[in-house]
Amino acid sequence: MLPKNILLVDDESEFLETMARRLRRRSYEVKTALDCAAALAEVQAGWPDAVVLDVMLGDADGIECLCLVKRVAPRLPVIMLTGHASLQSSILGMEQGASNYCLKPIDIEDLIERIIIACKEAGD
Amino acid sequence: MFGWIVDLFRRRGRRHDDRIQSAFQTHFKNFRALLTANNNALEGMARAEAMLRSGRPFGMTFVRGELTALTVNVYKMIQSLTVLSEGRYRGLNDSFAAVTHRIEAILSRQPEVKGRVFTYSIDEIERSLINQVGGKMANLGEMRNLLGIRVPDGFAVTAAAAKHFMEVSHTQIEINRLLQTLDLDDLTALYSVSSEIQELIRATSFPDDLERAIRAQTHELIERQGKNDFKVALRSSALGEDSDVSSFAGQYRSRLRIGLDDILPVYRDILAGKYQSQAIVYHQQRGFRHQDVIMCVGCIVMVDAHVSGVVYTRPPADAGAGHLLIHAALGLGDQIVDGVAAYDMLEVEREPPHAICCRKEAQPGRGPCLAETQVRELAELSLRIEAHFGGPQDIEWAIDASGDLYILQARPLDTAPVPVTEAQAPAGAVDAQLLVEGGVTASQGVAVGPVFKVNCALDVLEFPKGAVLVVETPWPEWAVLISRAAGVISDTGQSATHLATVAREFGVPALFDGGDASARLENGQIVTLCADSRRVYAGRVEALLTRASTRRSLMVGSPIYGLLKEALIHVTPLHLTEPDSPFFKPANCRTLHDITRFCHEKALHEMFNFGRRHGARDKSAKQLYVADSPSQWWVVNLKDGYREGVDAAAQFIRIEDIVSEPMRVIWGGMTAIPWEGPPPISVRGLGAIIAQSAMNPQLDPAVRSNLGDRNYFLVSKKYCNLSVRLGYHFALAEANFSELLNESYVSFQFQGGAADERRRRRRVGLLAEMLKELGFRVDRKADALVARIEKRPIPYLHERLLALGYLIIHTRQVDMVMDEEGFIERFRAKIRADIRTIQENAARTAAEQLHAA
Repeated sequence: MLPKNILLVDDESEFLETMARRLRRRSYEVKTALDCAAALAEVQAGWPDAVVLDVMLGDADGIECLCLVKRVAPRLPVIMLTGHASLQSSILGMEQGASNYCLKPIDIEDLIERIIIACKEAGD
Repeated sequence: MFGWIVDLFRRRGRRHDDRIQSAFQTHFKNFRALLTANNNALEGMARAEAMLRSGRPFGMTFVRGELTALTVNVYKMIQSLTVLSEGRYRGLNDSFAAVTHRIEAILSRQPEVKGRVFTYSIDEIERSLINQVGGKMANLGEMRNLLGIRVPDGFAVTAAAAKHFMEVSHTQIEINRLLQTLDLDDLTALYSVSSEIQELIRATSFPDDLERAIRAQTHELIERQGKNDFKVALRSSALGEDSDVSSFAGQYRSRLRIGLDDILPVYRDILAGKYQSQAIVYHQQRGFRHQDVIMCVGCIVMVDAHVSGVVYTRPPADAGAGHLLIHAALGLGDQIVDGVAAYDMLEVEREPPHAICCRKEAQPGRGPCLAETQVRELAELSLRIEAHFGGPQDIEWAIDASGDLYILQARPLDTAPVPVTEAQAPAGAVDAQLLVEGGVTASQGVAVGPVFKVNCALDVLEFPKGAVLVVETPWPEWAVLISRAAGVISDTGQSATHLATVAREFGVPALFDGGDASARLENGQIVTLCADSRRVYAGRVEALLTRASTRRSLMVGSPIYGLLKEALIHVTPLHLTEPDSPFFKPANCRTLHDITRFCHEKALHEMFNFGRRHGARDKSAKQLYVADSPSQWWVVNLKDGYREGVDAAAQFIRIEDIVSEPMRVIWGGMTAIPWEGPPPISVRGLGAIIAQSAMNPQLDPAVRSNLGDRNYFLVSKKYCNLSVRLGYHFALAEANFSELLNESYVSFQFQGGAADERRRRRRVGLLAEMLKELGFRVDRKADALVARIEKRPIPYLHERLLALGYLIIHTRQVDMVMDEEGFIERFRAKIRADIRTIQENAARTAAEQLHAA
């Protein structure tokens, strides 16, 4: 399945808006959430085809948020995106069901490719 | 009644088939996911290795990004294998955890800051304190205290102090966050992040203990001076600065003529100077993490300079010349290193009595800045310093009103090789239109590119990569562009400027003091700069470009280079090579490569055994029947790879019954031209194989090795995965033909052989060359290579896959004769001719089929 609706979750509003603009310019529907609660609301409503989730959020650890998202929607592809990664945190993210774990700054085309691959893997 | 029972069995049989079909689909899905992760991991390893070799600059973003991606891919492989094998290889998780912990420990290692003392008086400082006070202050202390040279009084604020300042304020976390996400190609973002970080540091309040320590040192300095109305200079003395490896010239801040009340805020400003935009770029280009640069600061009493300047104990652009180079200007010498002062330039003999062999005066009518006795004193002192520190030096000096000579700085000088003179230059150079002539060679070499003039920060943002930077004054700020510029031309300045030092360090040709060069050159005009002959020509002068300098590798020996190199020890070496060896098990996986190799081998095994294990005959491996006899090739049908109606129970399969398009193509290539058998091996070649077998037990032919079992195709209609073990090497080819360009690819991996490493490398070199000719993207390392073509139309992939089939068969065992005279040339010619023939035949057949249809 090719993704159409992408939910971006990050506590940095500037980064969020830049990414959203870039994705919209490539014809994706984008919603943004500044914290885990707002993200969960969208996931519960069944809106996103994929989630791009920052590892550090205002109201929760990104990994905790990942677990909550996965509890609501186990097959929903979630790509973790972080500014300060350790290998251990990437393994933790993968163990909790992330489809991929990437580092900022990321090229937008690269991110889209990873979203598409994650959705394809989830749909197989 | 009987009918009902038959019906029941039929329904049960169907349910059994459905279950097997579903299990097989899950298997296949995991197998494909594993292969994708395997390809990604191997490509990531190749990229990291290639980056190390390339000499190109890279930062921690690259290192962390690649290693995180690798970790994620290897994790995915383990997960896929766990599903495929129903959890048979649990030990893999332990090996994976151990390996990733070792890598993480390397990546997160912090530089050690020695000592807990915040300040040292200059009288306490010698070279041995270099790790606490930085190179600049250590050298000054050493000269003052050990050599008895006149160096101004003062004190140093240590690395421990800087670390304490940053830690107490917690600003480092925010700084790291800002830098981690910074894209250094985005100069607008660079300037904005740089100023944000500097503001952050300037706004940080002092820890009480550090403030007390600096105030106490200032008080002692006042007592030693016997007055309190003097000024000081605060200068950066970063750890690693002024080392033999990197100059850091002009990257950090120095502030002169500071009143004693302003020492604390100016100290903070110098700490902030570590994040000036040019410093951030310089760190990245030279392979420093920001935490590797710790900013010690020197506070020294200002010399009321009557005349001052710089001495190079060897001319930086011509180290072979036997003279010292002295730059002298009236007043304070900072204007010389910034390139703005009018200066006298003297060439002075190294031998006593240090005669002046050449003098160029700034203002000829005014008379020289230095008297001959002063020149002699300066020359003697400079050579003493050179002898003490053991290498050419770049020395800043000042003479006060009473004639006393002070040394303000001494650091190792980066000297270039002997220049090529114009007389040696090819005659073709003379034909081109000469635009600029004269000036000084600030950094040797030849460069070509479009002119781009820079006057202000806004121009910097527009500067295109590969342009020739043209400026009126060589301000240190322009250093931010050095790594992007092909060459530098400046109207003023000389080889002692900071910008010239950085240009030499980066191997960027530079011509300074070029008069009105910036007025003569037009933006966008292509020019050839020959810094050696101090000329700029119009257009691209090919004859000169044959001597174009290659950029120096600035990464080798840097902290980030060392870090990646050390981390890769736990990533790329392959210890598990022979699956039949008892050594081939999870506990022996010492690197990420070992884990990928193990996962891949076992995944193949799982696919191979699926049919047998699940009692699904149509999923069992069948032996390929060729020319009426069973071959050493086996085939597993993943899905729709066989012609309909093929006997599921049969032990053998014929090539005619296989409808997998990629398999038929690669098989066509493998069989188009019969293999002539192994090349005759010389005694030397055979000796090498025996020696290899003795050294590597996994190669011992006496150890049972079911080589025949190990060559198999996994096929579906549009997909084929071939793994081959012929002799001692391992090859893996994979192809997917899809109408969607994004999903179409041919990939190939190759490793090993029986000969010694040099010959194995040669074979891989030859393979790489042939694959590149065919249009593959190839990464190679030692005796291994990874090659790939993707996103191309099916007919294009057909041709390449055909050739790949040929190469797989015909390059086996040739590693043993790779050393023999003329073999490579003959073999290369044969390969090219054969591939041409095969491709032409295939094209003819396709045309005939089209015609017949």
